[in-house]
Amino acid sequence: MKRTYQSLAACCMLLLSACYKDHGNYTYDLPEEITITGIGSDYDKVSLVDRITLDPKVSSTDPQAEFSCWWGIYETNVQGSAPKVDTIGRSKALDYLVKQPAKGWVLVFGAKNLHTGFSKIVTARVNVITQFTRGWYVMKHTGGQTDVDLFLTPSGIIGEGKMENVFSLVNGRKLDGAARLFGYYTNYKSDVTGAMANTKGLFILTDKDVSVVNMNTFKEIRGFNSLFYETPATKRPGSISEGSSANYLVNDGRLHSIYSMSANVGMFGGVQLRDDNNSPYNLADYFLTLNYYNPFFFDQSSSSFVSATGTGTVLSSVSDATGSEMSANRNNKTLLFMGIVASSPYTGVALFKDKTDAGLKILSVITPENYTLKIVNDTLDAAEKLYNAQRYGLIVTDESILYFSVGNEVWSRNLANGAERLQFTVPAGEQITFIRHRKYTGTTSTELPYYFNYMLIGTESGGQYKVRVFRKTSGNLNASPDFVLEGQGSVGDVIYIAPSMSNYTYPNSY
Amino acid sequence: MKKILTLAVLTAALAACKKDQYYLYNDIARLQFGPPIAQLYYNLADMADTLKPYTFYYEPDAVGQDTVNFDIYAIGGTSGEDRPYELEQVMMEGEENAVAGVHYKAFSDVSLKNTYVIKAGEVHAYAPVIVLRDASLKNKTVKLQLRVKANGQFQPGEIRKLWRKMELTDRLSQPAAWNNSATQYYWGKYSRVKHSFMVEQTGEKWDQEFFNEINADYALISFWRLKLRTLLTDYNNAHPGEPLTDESGETVVFP
Repeated sequence: MKRTYQSLAACCMLLLSACYKDHGNYTYDLPEEITITGIGSDYDKVSLVDRITLDPKVSSTDPQAEFSCWWGIYETNVQGSAPKVDTIGRSKALDYLVKQPAKGWVLVFGAKNLHTGFSKIVTARVNVITQFTRGWYVMKHTGGQTDVDLFLTPSGIIGEGKMENVFSLVNGRKLDGAARLFGYYTNYKSDVTGAMANTKGLFILTDKDVSVVNMNTFKEIRGFNSLFYETPATKRPGSISEGSSANYLVNDGRLHSIYSMSANVGMFGGVQLRDDNNSPYNLADYFLTLNYYNPFFFDQSSSSFVSATGTGTVLSSVSDATGSEMSANRNNKTLLFMGIVASSPYTGVALFKDKTDAGLKILSVITPENYTLKIVNDTLDAAEKLYNAQRYGLIVTDESILYFSVGNEVWSRNLANGAERLQFTVPAGEQITFIRHRKYTGTTSTELPYYFNYMLIGTESGGQYKVRVFRKTSGNLNASPDFVLEGQGSVGDVIYIAPSMSNYTYPNSY
Repeated sequence: MKKILTLAVLTAALAACKKDQYYLYNDIARLQFGPPIAQLYYNLADMADTLKPYTFYYEPDAVGQDTVNFDIYAIGGTSGEDRPYELEQVMMEGEENAVAGVHYKAFSDVSLKNTYVIKAGEVHAYAPVIVLRDASLKNKTVKLQLRVKANGQFQPGEIRKLWRKMELTDRLSQPAAWNNSATQYYWGKYSRVKHSFMVEQTGEKWDQEFFNEINADYALISFWRLKLRTLLTDYNNAHPGEPLTDESGETVVFP
């Protein structure tokens, strides 16, 4: 019994230790909420011309709130360094002349309640722009040299003014060769702002030269002689493209790359090997690629498809998918045209001519998956218009239709059923030099006047070009173009540039 | 009996409790090697530069000696006076050890009398090793391990930081930057034949300085990998059945 009492006493002593007075300083007030209004999400400003003038409203659930405010701005997309915030104001209202070089910046507004110590920060994107950051760019050649015309679009997608020969105007020279292809990449690395950072770079390819210019100033960042770690002996650019986290430049039929997911200085590496024996190869100018998917090229020498990575030293071999109607390797064909037609699923279209039977032409729909290709063939009859096509332009990722020219006629071919239809006949005396589909869509309210979905038909006559810009309905051109871009020379490519565009705005294709 | 046993176990367990002998570096001045000053507060570089290969291969014939520096640090604060310190060679078993006076100047050489000193007001110095271009180095590589030696000014610091090693030769030698990682991902297994091929075919030195330069730019590494692979493929194509083979009989490859 005594032991029982002792045990109970011990237990009571232990339980007593659990009793203590709670001295917690709990507060059941709602957390303070600071509200800032009057700051938008995006601003386009011209450097040294426009001001940022804002006076946001700041309020708090704390009735005794008293705010200390500040403004800052910092550069985005820098490489290898942390961006620094420059303080540009220490009061609630801001009236600041934008002095930053043209590129993307972030505006920061901070409000601190001096009574509670709580702060809130709001940011807005600031696109510092120039006259070069918006408009239609037309790459044209005359007299064996290429230049670029800019059609300004200050209030809508239709050009209202023209700056001729902006490349030579800014850089003091023209590019050698005939105009071929634009490539626009907002992740191109350069130090044009003083720090190595993503730069809006526009590649201008001719058949004898290449230049990448800063989209904000149109100043050349690198020309052919500074674009490679080892300058190729022959200047014969074929294509510029992007795929599987790398940029690819075909020159003289051979592939160079920049792996874009690691730090780089915007220079292309050496010639990727065809195989372990360094066999000769000759890539066609046409290619098939899509964002992060594997790119595909066609080796005209071996009549074989190849792929590549940005980090590899040897081109990747490609094999046949189940159900493929033609081998991806040694198929005895010459590639006449290839491009992307759909992004989901990743699908391309190619036109081949047989090396043995020159009369045999095949239109192929290509579906890549990893490093395999499913090729479904449609042998063309000599009576079909496409059989004699000279220029090509796919409606990219929009409709399954291939546009092409025969003489002075522009035709379309429905890739699903093979139906061909005359879309437009250019006036006598004009030669068709270029067909291209361009599309820019989105939901940003300030960009609404600039969104479009156009087929562009370029012609040349008497040393003058015309680019007729057609809207299309169900794959068919409207009866007349929305507007016409005109100038001197013969057109190779046209691109519309806007400050908010990225390198994914336009699929890479001829 | 049971109580005696319990008492014995507890007594034995108590014996396991003892205070660890941590250096607090507040007793006397100590000395130890360390990473370059720029990497002093970078943990991963704590044991950087423990081995420095050196070769006279790239130097003109007239060069008879050179200096290799190691970063050395005094622990325990500065002093108002210069503080001499001492180094000594440690013989490595099974290795071709460098010979003082032949392959390097002895640390006690009279010409180095005032060389091994931590200057007043400082805690860092470069400990120089004067390497000598002996004719024997044309055909072999010798190793030198040096160690901090206690003297009247300094006691040794952390045990793992008391030593440094050198590999000395007059032939091509594996640069420190051609480490395990570089071997696995970029250049493959080191051989003098491969190294010589790289130098001869590209016109670059492929020494430590060159590796440091290209290691700063992944795209540049990729460029040289591709370039070397292409050059080797072309060489092997030009010598059918006789691919480039290294000094141990293995076919040279770049990954």
